[in-house]
Amino acid sequence: MIKEMEPAPKGSEYDFYFGPAHPGSGNFGVKLKLEGEVVVSARADPGYLHRGFEKLMEYRTPLQNAVLSDRLCILEPLNWNLIHAEAVDELMGIDIPERAKYIRVIMAELSRIQSHIIWYGVFSKGVGFDTGFKLAFGYRDYIMDLFELITGGRVYPAGYICPGGVRRDFPKDTKKKILKVLDKMNKIIKLEELENPAMNARAKGVGILKLKDAIRLGATGPVIRGSGMNTDVRKEEPYEIYDRLDFEVPIRKEGDAYARYWIGIEEMKQSINIVKQALEELPDGEVIDSSLKKPKLTTKIPEGEVYVRNEISRGEAGIYMVSNGEVSPYRTKVRGPDFLHMIPVLEYLLKGVQIADVPAVYWSLNICPADMDR
Amino acid sequence: MKLGILPKLLQNMFSKPMTVKFPHESIPIPDNYRGEHNYDIEKCISCGLCAKICPNRAIEMVDVSKEYKNKYPKKYPKIDLGKCCFCGLCEDICPKDSITLTKNVFLSTFDSSNVIKYPIPTDGNK
Repeated sequence: MIKEMEPAPKGSEYDFYFGPAHPGSGNFGVKLKLEGEVVVSARADPGYLHRGFEKLMEYRTPLQNAVLSDRLCILEPLNWNLIHAEAVDELMGIDIPERAKYIRVIMAELSRIQSHIIWYGVFSKGVGFDTGFKLAFGYRDYIMDLFELITGGRVYPAGYICPGGVRRDFPKDTKKKILKVLDKMNKIIKLEELENPAMNARAKGVGILKLKDAIRLGATGPVIRGSGMNTDVRKEEPYEIYDRLDFEVPIRKEGDAYARYWIGIEEMKQSINIVKQALEELPDGEVIDSSLKKPKLTTKIPEGEVYVRNEISRGEAGIYMVSNGEVSPYRTKVRGPDFLHMIPVLEYLLKGVQIADVPAVYWSLNICPADMDR
Repeated sequence: MKLGILPKLLQNMFSKPMTVKFPHESIPIPDNYRGEHNYDIEKCISCGLCAKICPNRAIEMVDVSKEYKNKYPKKYPKIDLGKCCFCGLCEDICPKDSITLTKNVFLSTFDSSNVIKYPIPTDGNK
């Protein structure tokens, strides 16, 4: 055990930058004020990865926006595709084909598994467990292979889930291949579940977020579920086919980094379960609405406004879209889960921790700088 | 020392590695991969839809060089692979299947002029 340290002498405060161009932080910076080795205060410094998606989307057609929506979060582009497509679908009043709904859910859940694997990888790196990082990125590539087969690109699906359905049907034997990859995913889950001294020593009792504070600071998704709240948009406001699927929402009460890490593992198990169920019931038929089958430059979005929310692997994400009947939306507002996780929650959690625990707390929030800066 | 690790150790010693030796062998690329464009000028009707839908404005409609001007009098797409995001919208929108995306992913080059694909390769423009 580490002995309680003596307090640093007065006047020894200094500034310390964590990020923004550092492998331990992603493209995001935190200005820390330290006294000895203890963080006195933390100030998030966003903007390093800002690309202005909301403005860009005002000048593009829905199909071009679907391609752009990949870039909202590099680690889970398909989930962002889905939210954007749902917003446009709702404005256009399209009832998408049944097969497309199933494919959408299968792809979104595979994307969630992939994102959680990365989370495990970077969190392992944050707590000094390098093997976990390498394992995670090795196993992630099996899912990348699936994406390559189905969407035609490894990381970016290029608007695979587009307004009206999905851009391509599954190629032959995809079902078999997905089941094979899911078996491999069970393997990495088993590895993640092993008793691990690094995780026990570095993650237990670190960065405790109480439920009251989690609600006050606006946490969603795995972060608030790790603090003991039973909430999931897939259960509360089911979209696509989630109301027909049988799955559980994992919850832990501790609220520390270790609890959030376990939420990730449990959610991967549930996602595997969901993909298997959806694959079993996958119906035949069209994969895209007939009016949008051939891309058109003149398809107008009817006048109106809509707010769509989804559960992505990081929490609750939403898109608010206003259209005045033109080809491009009049305004698109993106609500990413990480904006609140990376600014108020992170600043709150970093207060009073040791400097060595900063990466552990930081990565335990399942963050994505790309989604936060947008 | 715990000996529970031993079976795992032996298993790992004799199991296949997760990676492949890249230059000598590589994982197969699926048929519908979105790689380098293949453009067929004979099928092209110069509608310009590919240039209009391109989200990155990587496609520009240009005249062909003088020696081919008589045969191909219209404007044809010039594709800048440096700007391309390989979304495949040009392939989807093309009414005559003139543009298709191929499996070629080896596009790195030392010569920056190689990244621009002209409608007809000639001496003046590759």
